[in-house]
Order: sequence, then structure tokens, then C-alpha cells
Amino acid sequence: MRTAGITRRGFLRGAAGASGAAAFPAVLRGQVPEVKVGAVHPVSGLLARVGQACRSGAQMAADEVNAAGGIRSLGGARLSLLTGDSETKAEVAQVEAERLIREGAVILTGAFDSGHTMAMAKVAEERRIPFLIDIAAADQITRQGYRHVFRNFPTSGVFGVKAIQFMTDLFAETGVTPRRAVLMHVSDLFGQTQARSLLTAHQALKPPFAIVETLAYPVTTQDLSTEVAKAKAAKPDLLLPITRPRDAVLLVQELFKQRVEVHAIIGPGSPGLYEPEFVQQLGKLSEFTMDNVPWHNPRNPKTGAVTAAFEKRYGKTFDTNSGYAYEAILIVADALERARSTKPEALLEALRGTNITDHIMVGGPVRFNEQGDNANASTALVQILGGRARVVKPAAFAEARATFPVPRLWERG
Amino acid sequence: MDPVLLAQATLNGLMLGGVYSLMAVGLSLIFGVMRIINFAHGELMIWGMYLAYWLFTLGGLDPLLSLPLTTAAIFGLGYAIQRFLVNRILEVPEEMQVLLLLGVALILTNGALILFGPDSRRAPTAYALSTVWLGPVVLDVPRLLAFALAMALTGGLYLFLRGTDLGRTLRAAADNRVGALLTGTDVERVYAVAFGIGAACAAAAGALTISFLPFAPSGGLPLTLTSFIVVILGGMGSLPGAALGGLIVGVTESFGAVLLVPSFKQVVPFAIVIGILLLRPRGLFGGRG
Repeated sequence: MRTAGITRRGFLRGAAGASGAAAFPAVLRGQVPEVKVGAVHPVSGLLARVGQACRSGAQMAADEVNAAGGIRSLGGARLSLLTGDSETKAEVAQVEAERLIREGAVILTGAFDSGHTMAMAKVAEERRIPFLIDIAAADQITRQGYRHVFRNFPTSGVFGVKAIQFMTDLFAETGVTPRRAVLMHVSDLFGQTQARSLLTAHQALKPPFAIVETLAYPVTTQDLSTEVAKAKAAKPDLLLPITRPRDAVLLVQELFKQRVEVHAIIGPGSPGLYEPEFVQQLGKLSEFTMDNVPWHNPRNPKTGAVTAAFEKRYGKTFDTNSGYAYEAILIVADALERARSTKPEALLEALRGTNITDHIMVGGPVRFNEQGDNANASTALVQILGGRARVVKPAAFAEARATFPVPRLWERG
Repeated sequence: MDPVLLAQATLNGLMLGGVYSLMAVGLSLIFGVMRIINFAHGELMIWGMYLAYWLFTLGGLDPLLSLPLTTAAIFGLGYAIQRFLVNRILEVPEEMQVLLLLGVALILTNGALILFGPDSRRAPTAYALSTVWLGPVVLDVPRLLAFALAMALTGGLYLFLRGTDLGRTLRAAADNRVGALLTGTDVERVYAVAFGIGAACAAAAGALTISFLPFAPSGGLPLTLTSFIVVILGGMGSLPGAALGGLIVGVTESFGAVLLVPSFKQVVPFAIVIGILLLRPRGLFGGRG
């Protein structure tokens, strides 16, 4: 009897052929080894803009490494960036970290927010996967005795000390010394740690101004009119805000509306005060705002090429967030190169031996101490001048002179 | 305590309180007429905000000028919700009412999330940063306008209920449903109108704030809670109670922010609710149980 369709013999032949091909995927696909690197950032939710900048920086770095031939010691292996979205929630960051590990990531990077990073560090340590923190300041993260966590970013302690140092210098140079500063900060893990470290540094270094009032507010706040009214009542001549992007805009708008008279707005170290969105939403009001943040080194000849490439590709200014996410991937590539393997122990060994002198961020060579921190990571004082953040301190990295004191918000035409 | 700061806090609280009043008056009306607690009140307000926002962003219409459009649209939505959904559950146990309106709230919230995304929005009108100075105290122009319009609308609603036939019919149906039925009132239609007006009040209150308060789909629940606080304080079903309650909650919330840590400002209104429920459960002006 003739049956239409597949005969039994035909089926067996086909199956043998297919399983033969499937058993040797190299024959089908061509041999390009891949190393999966995880990157978790808040690309949606409250911190979406910042998270997207981080992801873009990381992607650009991965593409750069691949374009230059990939990881040579692993046979030219391509970096495959597995991205995760923490949705600006610590629980989701944790779930994403676990998912990326399941999908084969040999190392994780992330997560911008200190709370999320804390959650991911726990996962990385439990699953014994190395975790290179690209951005997160809270000191506690690397004080838990974890072996698998490294951080290429200054800790809160560093922020506090450098903020006081830069301000003391600035006041001495210009001969104008504010006496009463008000510290305003978001009350999430990052904000609280930064505030605490500023107050500690202030007590230790005794600069010529007093911090007369400290005001905290929730990250989700819709309205800062009361907080600013309280700040104004303390008669400040210097405002020190620790913000996130959304409240930074609300804050400056309130300062403008309530005519709070200060010599300057100087951030002790936080996002919100330098991003393109800050400048775009506030226009003239954003000018002259200062922030003590890790930044890319404008004096390094490579920096110009990287910033231009980023701006061309993504249409946004390159800043500390895209910068540190970018650098983290380069550090990962460097470690993979020296490890000659993707096994966790080999990677950990390689990371511990990192010593990168030619990098585009402000600060000394990238080296990790016993706690996993890069003790040479440092900050610069940037100021919005002509619609862009420019490094004004320290002198070794400066690209412009600081304007201080700054014109009043309501007298800027 | 700095007197300027206190004066500032009082005025700020009063201005926002006016918006709370309008919002709560809507909730109180719905409860007063048909004994339904509208758990979707905050979500209706959010939809009013989105409508005003898109009219501003796409059509260039100032949110204060587009108020008639926004309120008419959300009135229609409220009318439809009552006519086709709530009407079926007027006689059933309260748990069912709660579930139905919570379901409506979920649909509205997630509908907004799907259509508009989770990002918070604000309408940057030309006068968004304008201020008026009373000596050392600063008044935000958008807030001032919102307060003035909210009070005007609340007053208008009061006149409507007192002076027009439809208004009197609404009050009659609220007072005595069976009696209203016996005299030939189309009670179902009256209920739908009441729900529509309640929803329109919420939407108007929302639209007034979009130039100075950011909003997002997730903002519905906090607004519903605030409406509840105001209505519990003022007395369920009492419109003057809701109006006064709104101002009180606005001012005490503001005081809470100034005297306590600003993050705790919600503690004060909630504490007031606990106090009211313990000491005078029917609220300031509440009559019936």
C-alpha cells in the first residue's frame, strides 16, 4: 500500500540527519565562542533615564571589545551582554541577577542603586559568581565579608571627604566663605549613607561652614515645597542636596519659587544634578549647579573619542553613569583576558590582580583591595557651565574654572 | 517656630486642601445618594489628570481651560460605570460592592499603565513657576488658581443641589429611595447622574493639579485614601463636611510636614481618622449611621 507523505524509512533517515546536525552545532553555526556577561540596571521605573544611560555605556563597551577582536586568550570570544531590568526595585534586581546566572552569565555587573546592588551581592555570593559593581556608593555592600563582590566606584566615605575638601578649597580660592549650609537628602539607602558620610567628614575635617539643618524626604515625593520652606527658614547661604533625578528638578524649581538666597548649590555627591535631562528641564536654572561626583577625565586624550562616539550613537551626553558602566565592562574584559578561563575561581583571581593605569575616569589606577573596593576611585567637582557639566576640581583634571558665588536663580533673565 | 514658616505651611495646606475638598465632595455625594463607597475614586481622578494632560500636550489647551471637556468626559465614564455595573449590585451585600469597585479601580489603573506607561507626568504650563508674594510668604500661582477653582466648583455644586430640579431630585433620592420611587422618579437615572457628578468632581480636582503635582497610574490609591480620610472626618454623606474636612486635612498634613519630619506628613491625617473613629464616628457633620 502506498501511503502519501513520509514513509517510515524516510522518517528514520531524516531523524538521523537532524540529530547528527544537532549534536555538532559547530558545523551548523560556525565556531564563535561567546562569554556571557550580565548587566542589571534600572531601565524602567523611577531611575529609568539613569539606568538606560548605564545600559548604553555597557553595551558600547561590549561592542568596542568585540570590534577589537574579543577576548584573545579565549580564542577571540565575543562578549555577549545579557541585560536585566531591575525596574528600580531591589526584589526585581535580585530576581534578574538569578535569571542571568541561570542563562549562563559568568560574571555580573550593576546595579546603580545601592539597595539593588546589596540584593544582587547576596545572590552573587551565594551562587559563587563574581560581581563587579559598576556604580553604588553605600559602604556596607563591601563590608559583609563577601569574596565575590568587587566595586569600581568610590564609597560614600570617599564622597564625604572629597566634598568637604573641594568646598574648602573653592571657598579659600575665591575668598567667599558661606557660614550656614543646609543638607537636604533623599531617604533611601544611598541618600542616608551619603548624608551620614558627609556629616562624618564635616566633623572630622572641620571646614569653615556649619551644617545648620538636615532635611530628609522620600524618594517618591511629589512636592518639596514644605521641605524647601523649612530649609529657607534656617537662613542658609549654601545648599547641599543629595538627590535622585526627579526630585532634583522639583528642588531647584522650589528654590527658585521661594527665592532661597544661597551662594551656590553644591551636591555632596548624587545623581540628578548633572544629567542632560536636568539641564533640559530646568534651562537657565540648571546653570552653575555643582556636584561632587566621579567623572570621566577630560584631560585623557581617549576620553574625547569615547564621549563623541557615545553621543553620536545614543544622542545623549556621556556622563558618570554611562562612564562607569562602560568602564566596568572593560575591566571585565581585562580580567577575562588574564584569567584565560570563564571559571569563577580563575575570574576572581584575575580580578584581584587588576591593575589598569590607562582608563578614562578621574582617579588613580584600577586596583581592588581586600574588601573588593577600588581605593583609587575618586570624585571630581563638576559644574554646569554652558549647559554641560565640566570638571572644575581637582586642578589635575580640571577643564574650566569654577564660577562661585553663582548668580541668583531668579535673576538669570 | 518661625512664624513665616507657619504662615507658609498654613497657606500651602489650605490651597491643597481646597483640591482635597472638591475630590471628597464627589465621594460623599455618591455615598449620600446611593450608599456606595466608591473605591475607584482616586483612579477616576487620575484618568481626569491624564485627559487634561493630553489635551494640554497634544492640543495646547491649558488644563484650567479644558476643565469643561475633562469633567464632561469623566462624568460620562462615571455615568456608564453606574448604569451598567454598579446598578446591578445596589441591593447586594457590601462586600460585593467593594469587590466590584475595586475591580473597576484595577482596570482603570492598569489601563492607564498600558496606554500611558509608568512614567510620572506633569504639565509645564507657562505659569507653572509663577509666584505671588504676600510680604515674606510666597503663594504658588498654580496652587492658588487650583484652590480658587476648586472652591468655586464646590460652591457651584452646592447651588446646583439646592436650586435646580435635578439637584432636588438627587437629594430626594438620597433621603428616601422608596419615597422617590413612589413619586415616579427614575431612580436609576438619578443614581447614574449622581455617580457621574461624583466622578466629575474627582476628575476636576485632578485636572486642576497637573501643572504642579506629578502623577502616574500608580497614584490612584493614595488619592482614594485621602478622599476617605476627608469624608470620614467630615461625615459620610455630608457635603459641607467634605468641604471643610478637605481644608482641615490639607492644613494638618502641611503642619505635620513642618513640625515633624516631612516624610511623616501622612501620619497626621491618619491619626486624625483614628481619633475621629474613636471619639465621634459619624464625623463632624455626619448625620445618619
